Amino acid sequence: MLLKISNWFTLIFFLITTSFRRSDPEKDAIMVIRFAVYVHGVPMQLNKKYKNPFSEIFEISRFRFYTGKMVTIYSDAGIKTNLSNAYHLIDFSDSASTLIELRVKEGSCKEIQFQLGIDSTDQNQGAQSGVLDPVKGMFWTWNSGYQSFKIEGVSPASDQPAHMMAYHIGGYRYPYSTVWKIKLSADKIIRISKMNKTMVEIPIELDNFFDGPHPLHIKEIPDCTTPGELARKISENFISSFKGPVITLNP
Amino acid sequence: MKKLRVLSGIGFCFVMWITPFPFEIPKGFPPPVYKFQNNARTRQGFELGRKLFYDGRLSKDGNFPCSSCHQQFAAFATYEHRLSHGFNNKFSFRNAPGLFNLAWEKEMQWDGGINHIEVQPLAPLLDPHEMAEDLNQVIGKLKKDNAYPALFSHAFGSPGINSQRILKALAQFTASLVSANAKYDKVKRGESRFNQYEKTGYEIFQQKCARCHQEPLFTDLSYRNTGMEADSTLKDNGRMRITGRKEDSLKFRVPSLRNVYLTFPYGHDGRFVTISDVLEHYNSGIIQSTTLDSSLRKGITITENDRFYLISFLGTLTDSNFIKNPLYSDPAMGVRDSAPVDIH
Repeated sequence: MLLKISNWFTLIFFLITTSFRRSDPEKDAIMVIRFAVYVHGVPMQLNKKYKNPFSEIFEISRFRFYTGKMVTIYSDAGIKTNLSNAYHLIDFSDSASTLIELRVKEGSCKEIQFQLGIDSTDQNQGAQSGVLDPVKGMFWTWNSGYQSFKIEGVSPASDQPAHMMAYHIGGYRYPYSTVWKIKLSADKIIRISKMNKTMVEIPIELDNFFDGPHPLHIKEIPDCTTPGELARKISENFISSFKGPVITLNP
Repeated sequence: MKKLRVLSGIGFCFVMWITPFPFEIPKGFPPPVYKFQNNARTRQGFELGRKLFYDGRLSKDGNFPCSSCHQQFAAFATYEHRLSHGFNNKFSFRNAPGLFNLAWEKEMQWDGGINHIEVQPLAPLLDPHEMAEDLNQVIGKLKKDNAYPALFSHAFGSPGINSQRILKALAQFTASLVSANAKYDKVKRGESRFNQYEKTGYEIFQQKCARCHQEPLFTDLSYRNTGMEADSTLKDNGRMRITGRKEDSLKFRVPSLRNVYLTFPYGHDGRFVTISDVLEHYNSGIIQSTTLDSSLRKGITITENDRFYLISFLGTLTDSNFIKNPLYSDPAMGVRDSAPVDIH
């Protein structure tokens, strides 16, 4: 009797695990997306001095953003494949977090789409864990919601205490949402094959963050830490810093 | 067979550990917003939340548990304080509201800035003027404690303490604070009767107050500008702080009038000491402004007689079962009979 029961358990366990494995037979290749920050084309390091297009000196000590909902768009008839609905917290003080490994479908990919920030429907679901755990320092407590990104540091141009500059940008309510979908073309067709890992880089150019659709002079706006019109504008600058193209890192 | 015994043993322990604790919706109440979804109410979860609510270690210096500003004898408001005291001799920004019937609230706070009951405790916990603590510090303190690791295991069915579990346990307690057994409720259930003064007061209430203070919660949970000038030091814009919209300037959430005798002083900044002061504000103190609630343009005429009857009626909203319910009291202290002589 016991044997039979345990056999049943084994069978059910086997069925469950194999059905999970089978859920996406097409996604048999692996792609790694790397996010990298540049200032005027030079890779940015934290806590180092740089100059923005307005000749203001700044150094960044904290740089994080939420992304997720990755989509690959293939050359043939623009077929889209949703890769994952998960969110990722990119934190440039933790290089492992800047790499996202995803299971993808083989093929010729021409564009990648991803999200900045957390969907409004995921913003009010109560206490969360993982990358959405409030211990990650990206959750506002008095005006509930996840920041979309956070760029913090110092600049002599800032008149704030200790010359701090802080852009804690979030807000998910209309009309001041800071959640965006970003679609970038690749520099060339990305050949995704299960033979090897496909590596791509999504560059972030901070020149475009400062000199974006709404020129951001540190002297004038050294900080923004609440949702609203200004946060929305600064988020428009941030998405313009994802200027593309996606860079393919292997042939 | 041995295996089977082990399995059933585990199952038995599981039953022992997790005791379902169904949430009862009081007669006449609408369905709650918070239905303990993804956080099934259990006796163990509730008891853990209750212990955390009364534990000073959730604050930086150990002196400010949730219960320091939310006192049961004051229907979980801060008794007799305009603003509450927090870490390092700081005042809170707003008057601490009573905590009851929170499961019916879609948003928390005077400005509705908090979008879910589970994330509400983060605000006072991390605020430098209130509990002034860091989440990782709290988790660290609880992990080192002798009792908590086991209590978390029992409540959640597996070991581990993290922010999500702390917040879910607290929500099991706070969402369970139901006040629905005042004389008013007994009258509605046919178990008691208003006296003549209360009855007249109830009629006046329905005519002049119930539009915003809707029964049975005694609030419609909306945000309204009730003609109070912003304090020059607090500069509190109310709902506009959250939405960024000018139309929401000076709007605050309509507070429930349940237990109103216990939750004085009144208003978002506690500027009104007595109920009489509040009534006089509506009668003669409304400050005109563009976002003033349309129903208050001419104020609300409340005569001396009205005031007497209204105050009689409002007394029927005091739920002494609620403030003396041992289920909600400090697990280490039990229920207090009255306010202590000196509270900070």
